[in-house]
Amino acid sequence: MDLIHPASKAGVVEAVRDANATARRLLVVGGRRHVDKGNPAEVEAELWTTQLDRLVAYEPAEMIAVVEGGMRIGELDRILADGGQEWPSDAPADATVGGVLASGASSPRRLRVGALRDTVLEAETVTGDGRLVRSGARTVKNVTGYDLHRLVVGSLGTLGVIVQVAIKVRPLPHARRTLRFAGGLPLAHELVDAVHGSTAVLATPGAVELRLEGWPEEVEEQTTTARRVAHATAEDDAPFPLDRPWEAMPVVVEAAVPPSRLDATIVGVAWGALAGVGLAWVGLGWPNGELVQVRDRVRAIGGIAPIVRGPGGLGDSPVAAPEVQRRLKHAFDPNGVLAPGRGWEAAEA
Amino acid sequence: MADVEGARRALEDALGAGEVLSDPLALRLYARDASMVEGGCALVAFPRSRDDIVACVRVAAEHRLPVVPRGSGTGLAGGSTPIGDALVVVTTKMTDILEIRPEDRLAWVEPGVPNLDLANALRPHGFTFAPDPSSQQTSSIGGNVSTNAGGPHCLAYGVTSNHVLALDVVLADGGVVRLGSEAPEAAGYDLRAVMVGSEGTLGVVAAVCVRLTPLAPVTHTMLFDFTSVADCAGAVTRIIADGVVPAALEMMDQGIVVAAERFAHAGYPTDAAAILIVEVDGTAAAVEAQTVVVEAAAEVHRARSVRVAADEVERALIWKGRKSAFGAVATIAPHYHLHDCVVPRTRLVEVLTGIYEIAGRHELVVTNVFHAGDGNLHPLLSFDRGVPGTLERVLRASEQIVRLCVDAGGALSGEHGIGLEKRDFMPLVFSAEDLSAQACVRSAFDAEGLMNPQKVLPDGARCGDFAMARGSDAGAVAEDLPEGAWI
Repeated sequence: MDLIHPASKAGVVEAVRDANATARRLLVVGGRRHVDKGNPAEVEAELWTTQLDRLVAYEPAEMIAVVEGGMRIGELDRILADGGQEWPSDAPADATVGGVLASGASSPRRLRVGALRDTVLEAETVTGDGRLVRSGARTVKNVTGYDLHRLVVGSLGTLGVIVQVAIKVRPLPHARRTLRFAGGLPLAHELVDAVHGSTAVLATPGAVELRLEGWPEEVEEQTTTARRVAHATAEDDAPFPLDRPWEAMPVVVEAAVPPSRLDATIVGVAWGALAGVGLAWVGLGWPNGELVQVRDRVRAIGGIAPIVRGPGGLGDSPVAAPEVQRRLKHAFDPNGVLAPGRGWEAAEA
Repeated sequence: MADVEGARRALEDALGAGEVLSDPLALRLYARDASMVEGGCALVAFPRSRDDIVACVRVAAEHRLPVVPRGSGTGLAGGSTPIGDALVVVTTKMTDILEIRPEDRLAWVEPGVPNLDLANALRPHGFTFAPDPSSQQTSSIGGNVSTNAGGPHCLAYGVTSNHVLALDVVLADGGVVRLGSEAPEAAGYDLRAVMVGSEGTLGVVAAVCVRLTPLAPVTHTMLFDFTSVADCAGAVTRIIADGVVPAALEMMDQGIVVAAERFAHAGYPTDAAAILIVEVDGTAAAVEAQTVVVEAAAEVHRARSVRVAADEVERALIWKGRKSAFGAVATIAPHYHLHDCVVPRTRLVEVLTGIYEIAGRHELVVTNVFHAGDGNLHPLLSFDRGVPGTLERVLRASEQIVRLCVDAGGALSGEHGIGLEKRDFMPLVFSAEDLSAQACVRSAFDAEGLMNPQKVLPDGARCGDFAMARGSDAGAVAEDLPEGAWI
């Protein structure tokens, strides 16, 4: 396995063009934290983005940061915290911004902070045929052409290398609190409905964590409201989520379903389900009958269940407009240099 | 060669004779949208179902007619202005709210449902549809999707794209696909995200699955007035920098305040240089906390007074003035040309000053009402096109305003779209390769270019074609547009 470690965008362009010329297939790698998500793909080389780690622009009053794709989450968090802000990825400190976006990762706080894909305002991408293209703008609103920068989010590095992004950031909350309750998914759903502006309601086996973030008075008020719904067994400002039982398992599925159908995703004893969002992480011993069971149930209700840790790939949920998907892949990576077979679009090819 | 007569007969067979128009008056009516770009079309069809839309697209493809999707026709960039022998597919008869599922925080609607009708239907369930363009009484959800519409409340809640979970789309070959999912993530490339904001060039939206936003328990609306535009803009920057993202942050300059007040009688202070409408929402405690910060920021920037909406009636009145501003300018002059640039919000004052200078240089009346929190400017040039030479001055001033915004690091459009009106300005902000990549997206959906041709991308932008030179003279290109374009 060859390693290519470019130090600049021009270096990425050169590496990708060279891969086209020499018919070498590439896997784009950032912090290696999200690399398990995707179908198995044979490649001859890895292209590491971690030297592309510069801060390009950050003005807190704009609530926008422009960073290179290989910037580590820990570094970004530090820079933004100095401006009293955050990019709510909740990804590991050694993950990269590009990796988080390419993998389509979600924050456990999605109920309040929204989807990370919605924070991407502009991107520079080196396409599979070695073109450096930019779309979007460094403004919070923009309808100027086609949103290529949104297309690369969740594309698993199969359309291009994300070399730079402008991301919308948000003010850091002034107060944080987690309430814990004994209960299950029904209580979690009840809390979502009862407590306006909750940051997250995470159900795990036998327990529910309600995360509250915001203005101190707001968190107090939400706490009072939540206590009317059920008796909280604990209350603190520890990091959220405190309990991540799925992370102790060798294989983790990230299921996405309509929020009221979360119960369909759950097997075993090492899961966490985000009420009101419809995301669940399910820890499994090894890809086996349980994975098939989850995927069958999830597919039947229009959801997906890709693996985010361990083997098992993306699963067999159908892809919308497969012809369009394949034409896009071909347009941006005509020679199939970027991890052919890795993406969803390859499933039905 | 387009076979209009054959297409008309086939459409009448499929949709019923009453749903297809081809008389000169109808063709004239549907030859434009709310922009002043005038085009022309061959046929107008009114589908009542997804299958009707499929029939429209199939018939058009078979008879070689371009398809121009159209909602309520409130678009301001010429995105649904047809050109040539087009079939205009009007979705205004598809107004059913198909399903509201609070437990999944989603609703399925037909594309012709007016934005405000959806918000009203969701209210009893405790939810709303967050995007609220000023046109919301009229503009349709399908149209909102096409332009990735914004509105005053997208500062905190995000634009349409953030509120669309899935779309049923009729592609150029007549195939129906569901892009996105009722689940928070979907398999494959995010085609839903690309479809939103694509201005009808990738397919016809047949149904929309929208995300529901819980209604805030408390909403607090404040109106500040300032004796200088710089102070008003300074307050905007300060509020954001102090960590408050208000639900809405809207600025109006004196010219537009005077016009709006004459029209809406909202009690605006007409002697102020600028006013700022700030709305914060959330729980009672969250509203209280944000209000303290907002009022302090306004005070630092010498706000002369603050008016707080005492009840829902007063709140509605304050918003009436703001949302009817574009209509109110009819009291200034019979015609107007509205811009939609976005600039970094820290450069608002500098760009505004430049806009006043440009208008002064061309002896035009300019008023400004805009989404200050987003940096989304809506400079409005008022004029009488009957006065010889005026149109030319408006065109020149418009181009200079666009260039000013782009030079300040801005975008061509914040929420109205590119359409016909701004497509030839695209090389100002994108390189030839950027535009080529965008053309690749388009041709992946519609290889033959039958869906709303000649919109968004300038002529010459093709997938795999790098011939276009960066920074080509957009002004010169703009003059090549068909007569009536721009104004």
